[in-house]
Amino acid sequence: MSGKRITLQQAAEIIKDGASLTFSGFTIWRRPMAIVFELIRQGRKGLHLIEVNGGPQTEFLVGAGCVDIWESCWVGHELYGKYGANLSRKVGAKEILVEDYSHAEMMFRFAAAASGAPYVATQTSLGTDIHNPAYDTLGRAGLRDGKRIPKEKYVFTDDPFFGAGPQVLVPAAKVDIAVMCVQQVGEEGTVRVSGQYYSDPEAARAADITIVMAEEIVPEEYLRRESDRNTITSFEVDYILECPYGAHPTGMFGRYDVDGAFLKDFYARTRTQEGFDAFAREWVFGHDQMSYLEKLGWPRMLSLKANTALNYSTGIKRGQ
Amino acid sequence: MTWEYATPEEYGLADLLCCAASREVQDNEIVFAGTGLPMVAIMLAQKTHAPNLKLIFEAGTLDGRPPEIPTSVGDARCEMGASRASGLHDAFSIAQRGYVDLGFLGGAEVDEYGNVNTTCIGDYLNPELRLTGSGGNPDINSFAKRTVFIMVHEKRRFTPSVSYITSPGWRVKKWPGGEFVHRKELYGAAYRGGPSAVISTAGVFRFDGESGKIYLDTCHPGKMPEEIRELCHFDLDISRVSGETLPPTREELHLIHEVLDPEQIFIPKVKKGV
Repeated sequence: MSGKRITLQQAAEIIKDGASLTFSGFTIWRRPMAIVFELIRQGRKGLHLIEVNGGPQTEFLVGAGCVDIWESCWVGHELYGKYGANLSRKVGAKEILVEDYSHAEMMFRFAAAASGAPYVATQTSLGTDIHNPAYDTLGRAGLRDGKRIPKEKYVFTDDPFFGAGPQVLVPAAKVDIAVMCVQQVGEEGTVRVSGQYYSDPEAARAADITIVMAEEIVPEEYLRRESDRNTITSFEVDYILECPYGAHPTGMFGRYDVDGAFLKDFYARTRTQEGFDAFAREWVFGHDQMSYLEKLGWPRMLSLKANTALNYSTGIKRGQ
Repeated sequence: MTWEYATPEEYGLADLLCCAASREVQDNEIVFAGTGLPMVAIMLAQKTHAPNLKLIFEAGTLDGRPPEIPTSVGDARCEMGASRASGLHDAFSIAQRGYVDLGFLGGAEVDEYGNVNTTCIGDYLNPELRLTGSGGNPDINSFAKRTVFIMVHEKRRFTPSVSYITSPGWRVKKWPGGEFVHRKELYGAAYRGGPSAVISTAGVFRFDGESGKIYLDTCHPGKMPEEIRELCHFDLDISRVSGETLPPTREELHLIHEVLDPEQIFIPKVKKGV
């Protein structure tokens, strides 16, 4: 038996002020929201988020003032909120630094870090303002120390091997901690993700420390019976915890759907800082995971529950 | 399938855009789908004239045939029926490898060379409004042979120069200097094509094969070319208008509302006779 088990509170305590963080999931799916709420309760400051794409986790942490730097390509709530209102507000007020890469660039940056390579060559987004040297935010802020933050945002070059022409080199995404939210983890850390695994394998491998919050901790031996179905290796995971519905209001394949009504409400009410603060008082502060679930209530959670044959809920109202 | 066109009171603008987008798809193509109306359009093509199209969802579903419309590309509804459910590294590698024929994208602003902005309104360093950011827009647009943009038509959105080039059109900036060059020159061996159409709420626009400049191809029913030119901040070429955008057929409307999006997640139903 390994000693990887920790509590929700301990998971948040591992993430120190100023740490760089990345997350599992994709936009409004499989985000480690319970840990995000705990970070807000603990008053974490100065975080540097490096995300393949953003979502509600970004918006909560940014709204609560936990984040100094956001490095990614997209934030919003999909159908339930067309952009990240909290990020947008903080960008306008110059309270946060934003470093824009494209989606594929962010993905390739994590793949580079996950394979131990310092950078990767790609042909995406050539000719766009994403590559505009004047828009190198971290460079302008004097933060490119060549240690955790790369010396350059981009390097432009030509293919030296096959003469294929212009290439852009993007730096590996070096990140301190990956916070994951998955369906199952074994006692020794083996992860089994069901459904699309998004950028989870690369995120877990790129980070120095990987924390996995799962719907359930299962016997390691159970996962090893069919090892071809597993997603992340035992020894790539440092800490594990069990937290049912830990991704709410985001969704989890096979377990529960996205709580669209919750995200719509969050988006509508957190355009202003006062609105965010009121929302956080209602849903984050003074709660723990159990009282949060109690506040949501059984009927709501049952409507989100996935049909086990289909892997999504047939009970939620999605449209007009 | 019957090609019996619906009358104007039987369909809404979203139906018209969805059908126009669907008709951009050719059979056997590999199509990259973004969230929203394009998903309905592609699945509509799959059920009509392009039964062999292959659908890729950015979050990692490859050759998908979802039984119910997903609300986003990360949705649990993407996986069932797919060839593979994997991740973003697969989806973007496949795109960079050159498999993708067509991608559907959106934008807040477009210029006359098809450069699109989804990042910010106003100066990037002092924005009036920060938007969602690029997402996969520039990636799909860099990798696919053709891309189609679906946009709300407002004069401020059709501009001679976008606030920020999020997604590359036909005349793009060469860094580090930033001088404008033709896309072909910049993409080298990775050049496969570029924006092929903009479907706005006013009409369908295409790009000249040589210059890469936008022109009006069809006007949506009830719109005149001059009227659409007035809705652009650049001098829109209306000399090549080929006619009116074809309305939805009754069969397409049936598929959209009874089969693909009965919950009206992306496409509202128009009440007949109201």
